[in-house]
Amino acid sequence: MEKARPLWANPLQFVFACISYAVGLGNVWRFPYLCQMYGGGLASVVVSFFLSTYYNIINAWAFWYLFHSFQDPLPWSVCPLNGNRTGYNEECETASSTQYFWYRKTLNIAPSIQDSGGVQWEQALCLILAWLVVYLCILRGTESTGKVVYFTALLPYCVLVIYLVRGLTLHGATNGLAYMFTPKLEQLANPKAWINAATQIFFSLGLGFGSLIAFASYNQPSTNCQKHAIIVSLVNSSTSIFASIVTFSIYGFKATFNYESCLNKVILLLTNSFDLEDGFLTASNLEQVKGYLASAFPSRYSEVLPQMKNCSLESELATAVQGTGLSFIVYTEAIKNMAASQLWSVLYFFMLLMLGIGSMLGNTAAILTPLTDSKLISSHLPKEAISGLVCLVNCAIGLVFTTEAGNYWFDIFNDYAATLPLLLIVLVEIIAVCYVFGLRRFESDLKAMTGRTLNWYWKAMWAGVSPLLIISLFVFYLSDYILTGTLQYQAWDASQGQLVTKDYPLYALAVIGLLVAASTMCIPLVALGTFIVRCLKRGDTAPMA
Amino acid sequence: ISHVLVCNVTQRVSFWFVVTDPSKNHTLPAVEVQSAIRMNRNRINSAFFLNDQTLEFLKIPSTLAPPSDPSVPIWIIIFGVIFCIVIVAVMLLILSGIRQRRRMSKGPTEVDDSEDKCENTITIENGIPCDPLDTKGGHINDAFLTEDERLTPL
Repeated sequence: MEKARPLWANPLQFVFACISYAVGLGNVWRFPYLCQMYGGGLASVVVSFFLSTYYNIINAWAFWYLFHSFQDPLPWSVCPLNGNRTGYNEECETASSTQYFWYRKTLNIAPSIQDSGGVQWEQALCLILAWLVVYLCILRGTESTGKVVYFTALLPYCVLVIYLVRGLTLHGATNGLAYMFTPKLEQLANPKAWINAATQIFFSLGLGFGSLIAFASYNQPSTNCQKHAIIVSLVNSSTSIFASIVTFSIYGFKATFNYESCLNKVILLLTNSFDLEDGFLTASNLEQVKGYLASAFPSRYSEVLPQMKNCSLESELATAVQGTGLSFIVYTEAIKNMAASQLWSVLYFFMLLMLGIGSMLGNTAAILTPLTDSKLISSHLPKEAISGLVCLVNCAIGLVFTTEAGNYWFDIFNDYAATLPLLLIVLVEIIAVCYVFGLRRFESDLKAMTGRTLNWYWKAMWAGVSPLLIISLFVFYLSDYILTGTLQYQAWDASQGQLVTKDYPLYALAVIGLLVAASTMCIPLVALGTFIVRCLKRGDTAPMA
Repeated sequence: ISHVLVCNVTQRVSFWFVVTDPSKNHTLPAVEVQSAIRMNRNRINSAFFLNDQTLEFLKIPSTLAPPSDPSVPIWIIIFGVIFCIVIVAVMLLILSGIRQRRRMSKGPTEVDDSEDKCENTITIENGIPCDPLDTKGGHINDAFLTEDERLTPL
């Protein structure tokens, strides 16, 4: 007796799985969603494999921060003391305590990608735990994944609502919101902004990874995929806007807090140097008094001038930290200043974990579905063993990212494993469905399955607009890579307490090339392979006919 | 406060002071005063209801309180708890999966055995064996006319 293909218990589980997978760490733009019927190709599996290798380290970091949130005071809010206990650690003084905790305590980052250092055992432990949790969720296939996604899809929303209420009541939140809603027209005219937005939503919705195809393959054939497509896209985009409101109100609070403490430092410095009366200098009369002091005591003022920082709310709001550091540095800095910061920290990192695990479920589903579907492998090994093997291999490779230079390798994977190959895969998918398989055949199949005719909007998008958009994105990306010359990365300089730009060494460039080539070459290689096999078969059967 | 002389008082609450030794009639050296203040910083602070951040002695850096270092870092405890829970859950799921699979592979063979037993036991009623209703194979019921006989072949 042949076992029936496992199905989602109800359509809601499928929608939640897609939402949970799509609503990940960063959403911005909108893009039409493709409804697919056949299994994802080898290229998608390769990209998903790369993705699942490096993505789970984010969950490991979230676990690390979550476990450290149960302390008073929060470890990233205070600097550790230096050797003779007269002051704070030097690196912590030049950078900030949150940056110090991230770069030194969490990553223990090396000064450049060449100094690889050893595996950090704390990070390795957290990574193993993260993979165990993922294994727990995918162990039983859709049966267990279906139940977990209720959790991973809904809980982040609850936390976001709580944060929205808290964020909007914080002092200075309005500054952040005003900043978010004032468009910077010169940025809008820059095509690079639009390119980044488009690729971000690409990555966010998880197109081209095969995960959505894998999830959808567990659906009943009669599922209304058009409706689901619209729902998932809309939910993804509205979640982005909702999350942005929360984020920018928190930014506003952080920026206002930093601005005010900067002002207070300047006031203290001036009061000390000129022996002014306490309380004489306030934020409102600071500029006036500065002018008066500059004219009255020019020599002493010029001595003090280099120590005075120029405090500006705008620059505080505009501090954009690169990459994953955004969620771990900027948010923690805001949280440490809130009342009951332990509670907010736990909530925040728990939400981050839910988002990350939801996305990991999608990635691993994309790899596991073809493996469990193939008769060759599933006849020898049970489902649990296949999942276990995949998790083990990914975990072992992921240990590379726990070394001292691991974050630099993470950035490489993050920037290059997904961008170009993704565009190519989705382009090939669209062309294959619309032109090779035939849009009319696809349309009639869809009608036979779901009983609904395809709206003209979908047809116009798939046949015309989407391929053009993707081709233009692809061309732009290629030209951007070629024009910038040698690729560079941001390295943390412990002495300066900030990021510096460095060039990639040769072997790192080779890895980048391999990453991009591995997934893009799959498509023509597999096509060539099937073509040769078919030719050989035709050569065998021809004389018999 | 008879042996402390205050001078250079400014608008801001700050001043210079020297401590005199009445018996020797000279001011004590700064180093001695500094080490004395360093030892008794707490008492001086609490006398004014101030702390190290609000009462500053120039050239006397305050020794900062060391952070409390528990013997086992807290995060390892929480990590250990969650780790054990996850491992137990994984073991449970794997074991229940293995048990289910064993039950399923045993299941069809059990059903076969019971069917064979049915065949062997022939119902005997009044000493005459009755044919049990053979549900396994399809048998033609001769009571019904077959379609072939109805239609006269050409």
